[in-house]
Amino acid sequence: MTLKYAYFPGCVAQGACRELYMSTGAVAQALGIELVELKKAACCGSGTFKEDSQLLEDTVNARNIALAESLNLPLLTHCSTCQGVIGHVDERLKEAQQTNPDYLNQVNGLLQKEGCSPYQGSTEVKHLLWAIVGDYGLENLQERVTRKLEGLKCAAFYGCYLLRAQKHIPFDDPYNPQSMENLFRSIGATPIDYRGRTQCCGWPLSSYATTQSFKMAGGHIQEAIAAGADCFVTPCPLCHLNLDSRQPEVERVIGQSLGLPVLHLPQLIGLAVGISPRELGLERHIVSTRPVLEKLGL
Amino acid sequence: MQVIFKIVRQNLGNSPTIQDYTLEAEPGHTILDCLNRIKWEQDGTLAFRKNCRNTICGSCAMRINGRSAIACKENVGSEVARFNQGVSGRGNDSPSPDPHPCEIPVITIAPMGNMPVVKDLIVDMESFWMHLKAVDPYVSTAARQVPEREFLQTPEERSRLNQSGNCILCGACYSECNAREVNPDFVGPHALAKAYRMVADSRDQQTAARLEQYNQGTAGVWGCTRCYFCNSVCPMGVAPMEQISKIKSVILDGKDDQASRSIRHRKTLIELVKQGGWIDERQFGLRVVGNSCRDLRGLVSLAPLGLRMMVRRKFPMSFESSDGTATVRSLIESVKHLDNPQQFETASETPEPVGG
Repeated sequence: MTLKYAYFPGCVAQGACRELYMSTGAVAQALGIELVELKKAACCGSGTFKEDSQLLEDTVNARNIALAESLNLPLLTHCSTCQGVIGHVDERLKEAQQTNPDYLNQVNGLLQKEGCSPYQGSTEVKHLLWAIVGDYGLENLQERVTRKLEGLKCAAFYGCYLLRAQKHIPFDDPYNPQSMENLFRSIGATPIDYRGRTQCCGWPLSSYATTQSFKMAGGHIQEAIAAGADCFVTPCPLCHLNLDSRQPEVERVIGQSLGLPVLHLPQLIGLAVGISPRELGLERHIVSTRPVLEKLGL
Repeated sequence: MQVIFKIVRQNLGNSPTIQDYTLEAEPGHTILDCLNRIKWEQDGTLAFRKNCRNTICGSCAMRINGRSAIACKENVGSEVARFNQGVSGRGNDSPSPDPHPCEIPVITIAPMGNMPVVKDLIVDMESFWMHLKAVDPYVSTAARQVPEREFLQTPEERSRLNQSGNCILCGACYSECNAREVNPDFVGPHALAKAYRMVADSRDQQTAARLEQYNQGTAGVWGCTRCYFCNSVCPMGVAPMEQISKIKSVILDGKDDQASRSIRHRKTLIELVKQGGWIDERQFGLRVVGNSCRDLRGLVSLAPLGLRMMVRRKFPMSFESSDGTATVRSLIESVKHLDNPQQFETASETPEPVGG
């Protein structure tokens, strides 16, 4: 059976992390996963809508979910923040169906006024990581590996919203998640254990409290290097921006050169299933991914 | 069942060491029961705080299996299940960080974070209390005449204080707070949950002054990095990050985008979604950090980032609006036109008050 998802690309993958968009598409094609892109969807608010009002976050994302429901497909994210925000709205509204139908009616009333389909609570919101681990299966992924990533030491960087924004997450203990590490093993890479893998990258502070934000990022990068990592691998493009694109500034704040490449999750999978580094946009990073490719003999 | 407790021990100024204690324990035993038995039966030198044994006083907070929790609430059964999940989740080929054979489950115990260790599991909580004090955690009635009867509140007004009022000041949220780790001035989730309790209190006379205070720099609400750890570890369902969001929401209502960069960040994000459905990141940087060319230093600070992103072709040269932009814009405006958006709180997120 072909896996098929309503694909929510998010802002960053269409902007400063275009290589995430490219690599998700390439990996889906290689694994035979069909993605129907939600062209009418809108930004989840990345946790900021909620600071304005809960109703704003719930309404905009009820619309996003309803777009997937209209296709009768699960909504697929490839960003920890999008997942945590939209996934939590889905949890809240499903709960509201039972405990607070007036609130759900308010949300649906707003949607209907704009000619949108109402939220029904009939689908699921899942991250690409969960789709690969839970729907595709790591055994199947292992069978598709054409280039085992032997010797590559990968430090997972999960992102706060993937672990702690929802009340319930599949597969993982939020304090000791293993999905990423299990995925690394299934494609031949070696997971690195370090405390920072479940911590905040500092991105939400980066526009106005840069020193604090970069100290946070710098601590995690130093720790991963000390634990022997060749690269970070993250399921969150916002973490990628703070850890990769701001790494030169992070180096200045902590007074140490770092140079740790930060791969998006589908880029790592893509390397293992034989997709070329260029198709995965690996040359588009601020921190060169050359050392990773050299380690793999590419 | 047999359980190994790996306890991080430390004397003031010395490096920490890990000491193992093996104990026969039942699944229903609390972690505090086990620590008491270790202290009474095996090693009287082990130091930890404790008092009520009933999830009321908040004294016995510590890191249990990697996250801050109170020892009298967590039990051996659920911690062993957590350990087993970790072991089976790790697969067979991984080098186990644990030298013990897997048959005997391990529970690791460490002192809380973000506070210096005095001895073993006892931390110096001075900064925690100072930060609480910094938000003026008392209802102010100074400017008010004392009424003939009591200071009356409706049940609805009182119910707004339930969730934050349940805080037992155990320190679990403060211990895991990622923002506090890099910013010693940030007052922390416990203090800001209490701050919201004061802002929401219909009897308090200082709301406007409080909001100004909590809006300052990154010591107050804007210091939060939204890591969700406080919500996740709170043993009482206080959800401090939710309370921080509610304070931000009141502040945002009364300010425009020139008030500060942190406020401009929020306002701009919503404006850009209204404009394009998705966020045009080029404009986001220019408007938030460069303040639409009013902040030259901000603009200059963006230049190296923009240049290196252009060189690596990471800079988005174009922007494509969502096909649903007009609908989303209209939807956002409809929500904003509702005067008092109903703050929906699910039953489980708003626990009834505990104790007196």
